[in-house]
Amino acid sequence: MNDFLEQLPGLVDQIRSLREIIITNIVLIGQTPAPTFREKKRSKLFMERLAEFQVDEITTDGYRNPIGIIRGTDASKPPIFVLAHMDTFCEKDQPLNYTIKADTITGAGLLDNSVGVGVITSLPVIFKKLEIKFESDIVLAGTIQSIGKGNLRGIRHLLKTWPTPIRGGVCVEGIELGRLNYYSDGMIRGEIGCTISDESNRLREYTPNAIIIINEVINEILNLKLSQRPRSRIVIGRINGGANHGRLAPEASMGFEIRSDSYKVVKDLFAEIRDIVEGIGHRYEADINLKTISNLKAARLKHNHPLVKQAAAVLNALGIKPITKPTESALSIFLSRKIPAVTLGVTRGENRYQENATMEIEPMYRGIAQIIGVMKAIDSGVCDEQ
Amino acid sequence: MSNNWLDKNTFHHSDFKDLNRLVEEKKKKDLKISLCLPTLNEEKTIAKEIIIMKSELMTRYALLDEIVVVDSGSSDQTRQIARSYGADVYKATDILPQLEPFKGKGENLWKALYITKGDIIIYLDADIKNIHHRFAYGLLGPLLLYDNIKFVKAFYDRPISIGRKKMRPTGGGRVTELVIRPLFSLFFPELTQLIQPLSGEYAGFRQVFERIPFPIGYGVETSMNMDIYEKWGLDVMAQVDLDRRIHRNQDTKALGRMSFVILKTFINRKIRLGLIELKDDLYDEMIQYNLVNDQYEPDIFKIEGHERPPIIEIPDYCEKFKIDRPKIQKYRQA
Repeated sequence: MNDFLEQLPGLVDQIRSLREIIITNIVLIGQTPAPTFREKKRSKLFMERLAEFQVDEITTDGYRNPIGIIRGTDASKPPIFVLAHMDTFCEKDQPLNYTIKADTITGAGLLDNSVGVGVITSLPVIFKKLEIKFESDIVLAGTIQSIGKGNLRGIRHLLKTWPTPIRGGVCVEGIELGRLNYYSDGMIRGEIGCTISDESNRLREYTPNAIIIINEVINEILNLKLSQRPRSRIVIGRINGGANHGRLAPEASMGFEIRSDSYKVVKDLFAEIRDIVEGIGHRYEADINLKTISNLKAARLKHNHPLVKQAAAVLNALGIKPITKPTESALSIFLSRKIPAVTLGVTRGENRYQENATMEIEPMYRGIAQIIGVMKAIDSGVCDEQ
Repeated sequence: MSNNWLDKNTFHHSDFKDLNRLVEEKKKKDLKISLCLPTLNEEKTIAKEIIIMKSELMTRYALLDEIVVVDSGSSDQTRQIARSYGADVYKATDILPQLEPFKGKGENLWKALYITKGDIIIYLDADIKNIHHRFAYGLLGPLLLYDNIKFVKAFYDRPISIGRKKMRPTGGGRVTELVIRPLFSLFFPELTQLIQPLSGEYAGFRQVFERIPFPIGYGVETSMNMDIYEKWGLDVMAQVDLDRRIHRNQDTKALGRMSFVILKTFINRKIRLGLIELKDDLYDEMIQYNLVNDQYEPDIFKIEGHERPPIIEIPDYCEKFKIDRPKIQKYRQA
């Protein structure tokens, strides 16, 4: 493996020589709409591209996650998974016309996660050009129904139903180059909705305002005591409501996320929010409800796990400074099933969730080299010893 | 009028998606193929066109031999970006510099004939937002697989981007429906079978393009259709459905100016063919009006309507492509 670490920087130029193919994959994938639950078109394109690149086997699992398998040289070794989520936050009819300039690519959904999918689609060509072979089978997967209400259903199903042990996994995200995620927080995302029906208003002296009620909920959430250890936090990330300036709001909603190292703390906080919602519902006699959108259990690799150490070495060999933070991505599903895995970012970028999401092209080549380096590390057995 | 041509010579790009077959035909026929992108301030779209075409039709399938950008003097980064992605980039004024320079798409297409090497030339507009390699292989398919076909035009279901999040499902081609189709119906009913005679994407054999004149501006597509039809007939032409093309929308005034040029080109062709006679010359100015401070002010757009002759009549061209000029003269007389 050490020899391979030394060779890694030399791979960057060879990967760059495939620039047109890699960028074409990113753009063709990115311009194909794939809102969560409607990823069919992008999945089809993903499989078509893999077929054109002569991947050994292309299929979908029972949940319609598209998969390509590159056969390894040793049939006794379990497979290595490399995956990126297919779905984006973009709407179905939103035009996805990417712009390429000398150093950048811009377009909606690019960073989350057309870059990741485009890079995975390009790996078979890159392996061929670099003459890289693996002992393990390489499973290239585009997982569907990941973000938001998708709640990582695709990856959950894929790992749950995979018939053999899995050697290790690499989750690929568009940004940020240098991220080395090997643990995930416990997390629950919820949505609180409040509706004031016309019928109940007839009996009241004063009509309530849904926005004010949601505001009351927020104030009470802000009064909650959050523990420092285990570390925990509540993010109020979304709010919607009202009809126009002069009318009492008949509807309002808010979205929030609770995170903590401890899933128990997350559940306790969620229960407290449920109490708040019920209390306010009684106080205002309003139709107010709390829904869980998604949840994740906390899971982690130890910081001295060989995969973490070797992945950090790969990044360092490429001159990339590793940054470790928790993530709520597919990684947690791998880890909760005791499969060693890390999440890596491909390049640098900005405006992640905006229409003008922009990535830098040049750092991407090191980002791809790092993915190959980590795959090689897994193939050399760093996940086998545990 | 029979619709035979429409049935026989209309294809869909998916008819030609077997790229290995196209590559084989190209090899068998020993053909070179050039892709030409005429540009003027296309920095937002040019790189994507070059990258996708290079990736899919040069690196992966050896269909294209070169990608050439002919630029009308962009003031943005078009030329630098195109060059950085490996296209051969020329300023139109640097090609055949001894000739009086003109500015327009037709000029770029005509001059591209001098600097490209291909036996087949594909012309694609450089403002296609949803570019895909089907735009090129779809046009190449009929030329490579059908010996009688020498010129292929694209047609589309063309949505127009009308806002950041909205798209009109069909439309575009307003000039086609309001100007060209009525004219063709009146004078050349057979040509009405061209679904989108003004589409900016077409491909053909060099022997066709080098033998027809090129108007400098918007009239180039109209004249090309008429000249090819008149010289070789409809059977050498084909059209390919390339599905959807997303492009910039143009306002009504711009379309009005485009229509002016097309009408002028059309009428001039009719005069040249001896089909109509005018007592006076046509005017060169399109006059539109703007309401400024409650006053109507004319907005005059002068269009001289220059036209390049068939490039085969240019000595430098004949010399470069080793064409026997006396033979050409004989051909012209014939």
